[in-house]
Amino acid sequence: MRFLLTIIMSVMLAVMSLSATTAQEADAFRQVLSDNYKLIQRSSTKTVSPVLEAIQNTNFQGAAEFLDKWQEKELWFRKSDNAFVYVETDDKKTYRLLDVVDGTGLGEVPKKEIKQIKPNSGVRGLLAARLVQFQLTDPDVEVRRKSLESINRDPKLEHLEALRIAIEKETDAGLLAEFARIERILTIKFDEDPAARIEALNSFSGALSIDVRASLNLLLTTKLAVAKTLPEDINIARVIVPDQTGVNPDGSAFRLHGLLDMGGDQTELTRDAAYDMLVKANLAPATIDPAARKEILIANIEDGKIGKLNVSELDSDEARDSAYSDLVLLGKAEAFLTEDEQDQLISEHIFYASYVETNQEVTDVAREVLNDINASVTLNQFFDLALDGISLASIYFLAAIGLAITFGVMRVINMAHGEFIMMGAYSGYVVQQIVPNYTISIIIGIPVAFMVTFAAGVLMERLVIRHLYNRPLETLLATFGISIALQQLAKNIFGTQARPLTAPDWLDGAWVINDVVSISWIRIAIFVLGILFFCMILFVLNKTRLGLETRAVTQNPRMAASMGIDPDKINMLTFGLGCGIAGIAGVAIGLFAKVTSELGNDYIVQSFMTVVVGGVGNIWGTLAGATMIGFLQKIIEYFNPSNTLAAQTYMIIFIIIFIQFRPRGLIALKGRAAEA
Amino acid sequence: MNGISKKLLTTALASMLATGAMTISASADDTIKVGILHSLSGTMAISETTLKDTMLLLIEEQNAKGGVLGKQLEAVVVDPASDWPLFAEKARELLTVHETDVIFGNWTSVSRKSVLPVIEELNGLLFYPVQYEGEESSKNVFYTGAAPNQQAIPATDYYLEELGVEKFALLGTDYVYPRTTNKILEQYLKDKGIAESDIFVNYTPFGHSDWSKIVADVVALGADGKKVGVISTINGDANIGFYKELAAAGVSADDIPVVAFSVGEEELSGLDTANLVGHLAAWNYFQSAESDANASFIEAWKAKMGEERVTNDPMEAHYIGFNMWVNAVEAAGTTDVDAVRTAMYGQEFPNLTGGTAVMLPNHHLAKPVLIGEIQEDGQFDIISQTAEVPGDAWTDFLPESAVLKSDWKDLECGMFNTSTNTCVQIKSNY
Amino acid sequence: MQDAVLTKFLLRHPSVLVFLGMLAVFTIGVTVLSEGFGIGVVSTSLVKTLGKTLCLALAAIAMDLVWGYCGILSLGHFAFFGLGGYMIGMWLMYARTELIVLKANAAAALPLTPQELSDAIGVQIFGVVGGSEFPAIWAFSDSFILQLLLVVLVPGILALVFGWLAFRSRVTGVYLSILTQAMTLALALYLFQNDSGLRGNNGLSGLQNLPGLEETSQADVSLWFFWGSAFALGVCYVIAKLIVESKLGNVIRAIRDDESRVRFLGYNVEGYKLFVFVITAIMAAIAGAIYYPQAGIINPAELAPIASIYLAVWVAIGGRGCLYGAVIGAIFVSLLSSFFTGGQIPNISLGFYTIQWVDWWLVLLGLSFVLATLYAPKGLGGLVDKFKKA
Repeated sequence: MRFLLTIIMSVMLAVMSLSATTAQEADAFRQVLSDNYKLIQRSSTKTVSPVLEAIQNTNFQGAAEFLDKWQEKELWFRKSDNAFVYVETDDKKTYRLLDVVDGTGLGEVPKKEIKQIKPNSGVRGLLAARLVQFQLTDPDVEVRRKSLESINRDPKLEHLEALRIAIEKETDAGLLAEFARIERILTIKFDEDPAARIEALNSFSGALSIDVRASLNLLLTTKLAVAKTLPEDINIARVIVPDQTGVNPDGSAFRLHGLLDMGGDQTELTRDAAYDMLVKANLAPATIDPAARKEILIANIEDGKIGKLNVSELDSDEARDSAYSDLVLLGKAEAFLTEDEQDQLISEHIFYASYVETNQEVTDVAREVLNDINASVTLNQFFDLALDGISLASIYFLAAIGLAITFGVMRVINMAHGEFIMMGAYSGYVVQQIVPNYTISIIIGIPVAFMVTFAAGVLMERLVIRHLYNRPLETLLATFGISIALQQLAKNIFGTQARPLTAPDWLDGAWVINDVVSISWIRIAIFVLGILFFCMILFVLNKTRLGLETRAVTQNPRMAASMGIDPDKINMLTFGLGCGIAGIAGVAIGLFAKVTSELGNDYIVQSFMTVVVGGVGNIWGTLAGATMIGFLQKIIEYFNPSNTLAAQTYMIIFIIIFIQFRPRGLIALKGRAAEA
Repeated sequence: MNGISKKLLTTALASMLATGAMTISASADDTIKVGILHSLSGTMAISETTLKDTMLLLIEEQNAKGGVLGKQLEAVVVDPASDWPLFAEKARELLTVHETDVIFGNWTSVSRKSVLPVIEELNGLLFYPVQYEGEESSKNVFYTGAAPNQQAIPATDYYLEELGVEKFALLGTDYVYPRTTNKILEQYLKDKGIAESDIFVNYTPFGHSDWSKIVADVVALGADGKKVGVISTINGDANIGFYKELAAAGVSADDIPVVAFSVGEEELSGLDTANLVGHLAAWNYFQSAESDANASFIEAWKAKMGEERVTNDPMEAHYIGFNMWVNAVEAAGTTDVDAVRTAMYGQEFPNLTGGTAVMLPNHHLAKPVLIGEIQEDGQFDIISQTAEVPGDAWTDFLPESAVLKSDWKDLECGMFNTSTNTCVQIKSNY
Repeated sequence: MQDAVLTKFLLRHPSVLVFLGMLAVFTIGVTVLSEGFGIGVVSTSLVKTLGKTLCLALAAIAMDLVWGYCGILSLGHFAFFGLGGYMIGMWLMYARTELIVLKANAAAALPLTPQELSDAIGVQIFGVVGGSEFPAIWAFSDSFILQLLLVVLVPGILALVFGWLAFRSRVTGVYLSILTQAMTLALALYLFQNDSGLRGNNGLSGLQNLPGLEETSQADVSLWFFWGSAFALGVCYVIAKLIVESKLGNVIRAIRDDESRVRFLGYNVEGYKLFVFVITAIMAAIAGAIYYPQAGIINPAELAPIASIYLAVWVAIGGRGCLYGAVIGAIFVSLLSSFFTGGQIPNISLGFYTIQWVDWWLVLLGLSFVLATLYAPKGLGGLVDKFKKA
């Protein structure tokens, strides 16, 4: 209570900023610092709290600034006498030192003579918590917001009072709501009046935010216990039957369904764990496990024999068991309970869990609110999963769309497709090196990437692919050769390190719908880009002269030629277009993942499968294929969250089986086009 | 059939023999050969080329100082191309064809396991510079990187004691280092009273880039009101996507800190760290360490490789390993493997971070453990530095390893069972 | 009787004799020059490289049979190669570890129970990858004979099931290529998982150390395997030749040239294709089972799609539809690869830039694929034929 008073007093002191610092307080402050210099220089969460309290107790006006600088890693000390200083520097070589108490200059020294103090984030959190009282009423909105955050991170009882005082003075409407929300969270946690807590609880009905759920879950923390009969005076959460009941998020129990239970629901307490509880509670004798039995056997070897048995015969569990029971009969070892006897003991006791919170009314309301929240969390999780699925699908689609043209429409097996993606990503990187503004560099980078890869595609078509149109499988080999050559070339030019391709600020961060559903802007951008390309290619292929001619050339080159279309030119342009789009996809993929020479490798097999699963020769098919693969992978990941690799494996196996049944893909071309 | 294919074969064979002979004639006694076995192509080139360059720099500097035993050092660089069987082949080539006296090399554990039988068969000497999972001890390998107790355990202690983390997400790439490290950490956390349900484990493939769901899962862990911390053993360039997603999701280091064991200056140079400030890494070395030796090492590195290049922990491991080897050779007066090995025990060399590294009889170093926070410029702010921690080949936190001990000096055994007082095996386990 | 047929066959196809003769001369030559049994000019590491190259040549013959003769461009045959390696690797690891465990426990106070023995072996094998329990797929690993049978059975059955499904639904051409690629990718990803029970990314290692023969020098062991590789290559070459020169071979070639026409003639195309697919898968598996004990380690990266593409490239460079072409291609490219990555070729300094072969070799290799497909569609074997005609 005295501490609380100090806090309130110092808050008031700070708020009214009355007294001029008396020399006394300054001296006390200096004394505290010099007494505790070691704990401040190498601070640890474990030891720093008393120091902080002592600093605060000096009531020195500059203490807040001191704590703030300390937190911001702006506090230094002089190596010669361990005196704490603030510093100013122009060239990072020599530093002007300022006294922490009165700000007087202490001369200029080279960097060698001073050292920066770097508190870890645990200590910084404690500092922030101390600073809350000064900052909750700070004139700067941002400072107030930050201090609210630090309260929320680690709420303390004393914060509740400070918060309630500060809330009266808050003028910013947006922040006021946040103030009120945090105040309610703290009320649930610390208030002594059950009615106030229940009111605060009810106000959170349907709230999805993590901090609210965290405070509810903490309120509903339970602890396990075992007894002969169920005690009366506890706030019981559930009765547990070993191996047969599981636990709900709200602390209640449910019965497992035995064999029918496929969902991976697990029992809360296994039989063995239950018996261990009994042993710990001194309600049953300890078990003697086989390893311990073996020790006892070894200890009792006499002349190569244990009892009447030769040591060399003890090479099976049965023999060892019988040797052990011999020892028990001889009184040389302790008997242990059989499984049945253990089961008997377990069934004679009752296992239960009780809430740590003793007020049953509060836990009842909390349970109700939490169940309500959890239901909508589950719903939102599915929505989030769907967003993830769409996002992954659009990445696959973007990676595969160029291939949908070169392979899908033209039937050229371009194994170097991945390297065109890589080339696009590196083009983006190079542009970013020349144009430092991220927004402009992306705007320039996309057309540059298109042009570079378009040109490379045209070149490749003219030099290599043109000669192999009637030998499709050999295109595969030639383009594979180009692929490894390009990959190594990229390594020789750009080195093996991953290169940064940084998104502009406006693509940073995520679109947060609520605390469960959010998606990063960069993924949204990829989605939009995918849609854009889809429409564009659909338009080009179906509504333009080039598209018409492309389709004509792929379906029957000779006929097309006799109609006055130059098949060579069309093939060249179409192939270039496919490669150019792969280049743009490269910029997008580089923005969200990484730019390395291996970038293409990650997407090439996936892209081919996307096109094949969707159905060759059809952009709609590629869209369908990407969607199916993306969603499928997310769904498998959902069921097996701890192993992403397994999800990928099962997805590919699924694709293999799928193609057996729909060899022409999801959206198959019919009639003559199918034979082309 | 035909003369020409025969001719082709014979020429191929003849040229092979010719090169073989050439190398033999070149390996006169005027130089000491140092083999460098790092991938220069393939997936691992991204990390390993740097180490090759480091070795070349160190050898260059040593030669400028007059070499070793009055002879110049000659680097023999081969490219195992991130192909694990090729590592064994190249190691054999280095030892038998090029007759190198020592090999500095390898990055991944699997490449080390591939090389082990060859090195042991031919009694070679390998310096392995990367942090690894432990649970191994070879007579012919000196492990200059961190064992789990020199990186993972101190970092976990930091989480538990300094940050008060109560719930752990162990994210890793699906291979041996993360698997074994996480197994050790899981047991360690359970010993410290963390419930199994409060440990979330996830494994992803190499080069994974789709992180949104995993990051969302981690954020959702905080819903039960416990402080969540992430321990990342994600390898290589998968980190770039992971950190980008982390930044996009706005996960602040104050809410959910991430400590990484495989992310150093080199990896961070591939991304914009503005949104990652405050996340952590645990190593035995950071470029930002303040010491004169470090300053001159960085200066030499930048002079050779370019201003924008950074230094990292495995480079320091090679720095220490190479210098210890030089001193051991000088002490032994010969490059003979057994003599050098004996001279290695107790070798001391100053760390770049201050303090002194000591080579222990279990072929590990005693080194300080540093924890750094990522800064805006891609460097680390060192916020915690322990005293020297002796590396432990066999972890104390798994029951089957706790009884094992490695001591090549007195016990002459790398896998000594202290409960039965027997040597399980002289060769290492691979 | 059998002998008579073989003699007649050999007389009709003297090129087989030439091939076998060259193989024999090569084998004896290497043996005489080796460190193990000869004058020591050829290093053990080169013997291993040559032995492995012969295995790759065998895999290339299988690839040539399935692609060059039957027209199925399988981009997954290295999966069978790898599976063969895994099967033999399981026995090698188990047997070697069992000996170590037994030796270490020879002086133990109590004899080991079967369970304890299996646990101890499990800890030794899986301890390095963070596990300790024996997965079910290791059930037969203690028996050399059974595991040897699995070398043939596992890849064979996989090829049978996969081929039956794919051919039945008439998946052909590029689609089949991509499907086989998906198969090897799925297998590689599966094996990459630690939970697969085959030590995940680490794979099986130390395979060059034969159980019970720790004291035998690798110089000898490498030669045994070299002979084994040469023998397997010779036998499979003859088998392959027998197949392609028979009536069966004619049907297979006809399927390659026009599948529907063969079907209309009443042949069971799917059956023929399945036969070739399975028999080549088994050949690849045998090659793998001899290859990996020489390489010393097998891990999932070996099954990555790119390995199978390389296999196809060897055959293309060597010459499709020509068995010795496949052999030449495999030997030529893989030896050249190991030559260029060995750091034995001096770098070329151009003054302003130094060409380092390590950096530029892959670029050259890639471009040579392009040139080979463009200008030598029949590969090196084709050049040989041209030379012969001239």
